Amino acid sequence: MRIPLEARIESAVCPGCACLCDDIDVTVVDGRVYQAANICLWGASKVLGHKRFHPKKERRRLAQPLIRHRGRWQTVSVDAAIDRTAEILIKARQPVVYGLTNAGCGAQAAALQVARQAQARLEPADLAWKAPYYQSLKKYGVFWATLEVIRDEADTLVFWGANPLHSCPRHVVRYSIFARGRFTERGYDERRLAAVDIHRTELADLVELFLQVEPGQELSLLQEVLTATAAAGGAVSKKARRLAAMLQEAHYGVIFFGRGVSYGPTPELLDGLAGLTARLNEHTPFVLFPLSTDFNAVGLYHLLLRELGSPLAPDFGAGEVSFHAEPLRWTDVDALLVVGADPFWFLSAAEIQDLHERRVPVVALSPVANRTTGHAEVVLPVALAGVETPELAYRMDGLPLSLPALLPASLPSDQQLLQQLAAALGCSHRGMACV
Amino acid sequence: MRLAIVGGRVFDPASGWDGQERDIYLADGRVVDFLPAVDQVINARGLAVTPAGLEIRSPVAGFGQNFLRLWGGLPSPAELGHTYALLGYTHVHEPCLTLPTANYVHQELAALPIVDTSASLAINLRDVDLWLQDPQKLADVGEAWAYLLESTRCLNLRVVEPFVKFRQDFYRYRALTEEVVVNRLLTIREQMRLPLTMEATPALLTLNLPVHPGLHLSGLGAALTDEALLDRALHLLATGLTADMGLLPPAPRPGFPSRPVQVDLGWFQPFDLLPELEPQVARRALRLAVQGKEWRLAFSVASLLSLPLSSFSQVFAWLGDAASRRRDWGDVQLEGTHSFTDWLRATRLLPAQYLGLTDRGHLQPGARGDVALYDLLGSDTWAKNCQRCRLLFKAGELVVHNYEVVQPHVAKATYYRRTQAVPNKLVADLCQYRSLRPENLQVRVQPHQHWQQVA
Ligand code: SF4
Repeated sequence: MRIPLEARIESAVCPGCACLCDDIDVTVVDGRVYQAANICLWGASKVLGHKRFHPKKERRRLAQPLIRHRGRWQTVSVDAAIDRTAEILIKARQPVVYGLTNAGCGAQAAALQVARQAQARLEPADLAWKAPYYQSLKKYGVFWATLEVIRDEADTLVFWGANPLHSCPRHVVRYSIFARGRFTERGYDERRLAAVDIHRTELADLVELFLQVEPGQELSLLQEVLTATAAAGGAVSKKARRLAAMLQEAHYGVIFFGRGVSYGPTPELLDGLAGLTARLNEHTPFVLFPLSTDFNAVGLYHLLLRELGSPLAPDFGAGEVSFHAEPLRWTDVDALLVVGADPFWFLSAAEIQDLHERRVPVVALSPVANRTTGHAEVVLPVALAGVETPELAYRMDGLPLSLPALLPASLPSDQQLLQQLAAALGCSHRGMACV
Repeated sequence: MRLAIVGGRVFDPASGWDGQERDIYLADGRVVDFLPAVDQVINARGLAVTPAGLEIRSPVAGFGQNFLRLWGGLPSPAELGHTYALLGYTHVHEPCLTLPTANYVHQELAALPIVDTSASLAINLRDVDLWLQDPQKLADVGEAWAYLLESTRCLNLRVVEPFVKFRQDFYRYRALTEEVVVNRLLTIREQMRLPLTMEATPALLTLNLPVHPGLHLSGLGAALTDEALLDRALHLLATGLTADMGLLPPAPRPGFPSRPVQVDLGWFQPFDLLPELEPQVARRALRLAVQGKEWRLAFSVASLLSLPLSSFSQVFAWLGDAASRRRDWGDVQLEGTHSFTDWLRATRLLPAQYLGLTDRGHLQPGARGDVALYDLLGSDTWAKNCQRCRLLFKAGELVVHNYEVVQPHVAKATYYRRTQAVPNKLVADLCQYRSLRPENLQVRVQPHQHWQQVA
């Protein structure tokens, strides 16, 4: 579809985070976004191409495929970059396709195909806290609600290791803290709110109960809350008792948890949170809800469950697919294809050093320059998904939304490149020349 | 392509053929009376020739079904599509699509290969309770539902909770009983001429439901919570009411969670994706299926989780073979069995009629060339016949040959009803409650999806 250079696009979907706000009205002038109504600063950074929360600093877009040769960048054709990537993946013994939580459904499906062809492991960027979540569901059962139902019905919200003001800013006005729903017409005034975090966050000024805990102490707090909610007695601190009382007085409750749970012993924390939710659910509806940040993290787990029957990281290396709940050990990786993520942002200096020393080739598909592209051997620039190319993504509650293209694209989409890569890998395995 | 399927024993309840040897001709994807010359002849000697099946009951694409894959209960869409084809089915209907989950369900249905698909729009009466209370506004309700039916690309309307109740005490005064609701719904149905399905509940079964063309009772099996309700259900069927039901297993499937798997979509009760099995209810459901064969009762299984596709032939054997019944159900006191034709009627002809797909479920001239051929092992052991399909044609195209899928990319479509209704004020009000703008609630037509209108 040709995108006009001047246009007004109403009800566009923002690919800034997993809220996928669908009320963005965009004015395009001269092939650039001139105005975007209703969008938050975070989403604007994606649509307008500036740094997060720094509207004056533009993000550097990548324009040409690059290959690093003897330490120097060389501009190459897309085909040459794809061939080099295929070569890297085929040579590797333990290749990993990493990230994908910030990629559309089309790209994710193509990446799954690449992982199969390359006999690689596919690692979602947020596996560390999502795998334990799904494992806890398996143990305790599921009570799920859409954001709309949560907005309409929930009168008690707890944020555990989650700060929506940073991870998905409009969540608080559209679905949670301030949102007015059908049966929560007074919004903020009608809800009871609590938050648990190891740092004092902005939520502290908004909630009735803010529990700041020392790092590593979340689990003992949770156990005390579990004790307080159980009929049997036990030693419980005052703050745990207050939180437990708030949960037990709810008519409809939600425990939103975020990336913060990955600082603690994550499997135990999620097991405790799911157990607590299941116990509360015996009396009143209670939802345990992961506050996904990346715009299509949910789409990726949806794809894995639907196609492979497991939300864990699939590994196609051993002929048959195996699944991992534990995040990968970077020391095991010998080739890395990164899509829709920037792992070098959070890798430790020692891990980066190790990857360098072992000369692990990194291939990055990215619309912008970031730390990962800075360490890559092959860089493939792509169009911005959901801004320059249409995509499909799943909102954090699992509802899919079509993201229209707002701007004309001068670069191929990540989906196109991954499909091309999958085809190249298929040909190489069969010893054929790809035409 | 002109095709003759010759020498087979044809079973087609719509035509009254019960195993007579005859030839079936297909031209341009449809059944025709006779062709003087054909491009291909299929020798069907020793095979049962039947219309292809339509799945109307087992949810495969509803919101939340994906959670069930955590326990390995639901195969991938590719496996589902292939298995349905190998069983001789060419159409799968999802019984539960709601306004906010319309795009979700259609994505899931699009992922099923081979089989055509469709869905029922489940309407939440709680959203229109004030309009239902006012007889003057019923036409507006019908108009709004007709619009939503087309905009969500569904085939029919389904009322899952045939009452209005609120979880919040404050709204108790707005509750509506089953009796009032049925009354209002029949008026709407009368005005709009839209096919309407009501999920059976114990309270609904005790009402004096009229036989009404276009009114269909769904999920009869799970509603049989006591013996009197079984008698009541049989009585309603005897009056001519059309219905469908899902068969239940005699015992829970081992390895499945005893924990709840529930999804709250803002109804009075959350949707229970893994309801606890009550053996007595399961027995009554089986009795209903066996005793209801004379009437207009279509069936499948209640859930692919409790009775997976691989067990279909075993499930159908409970209906056709008293020995299988005894083996799996013990001392169930049950007279009568389904013949092969009875089973075909309940899994082909009646589902097609219920969905309004008039060219499906039979082999009369004009029908689409969806034909399933099974090995004929004997009429008393017919359930074994349908274990796997030897050949399957979809719109005249060979999809399964010698028990293997040979055309996995055969054309498929999603069927929906064209109502040409325009949005009214109620539609705007309904959309206002949603967390998505109306434009994003509408089903997005993906280029790879093929849609087919039913008038
Ligand atoms: S909350 Fe998320 S989706 Fe909504 S506008 Fe902000 S970044 Fe975009």
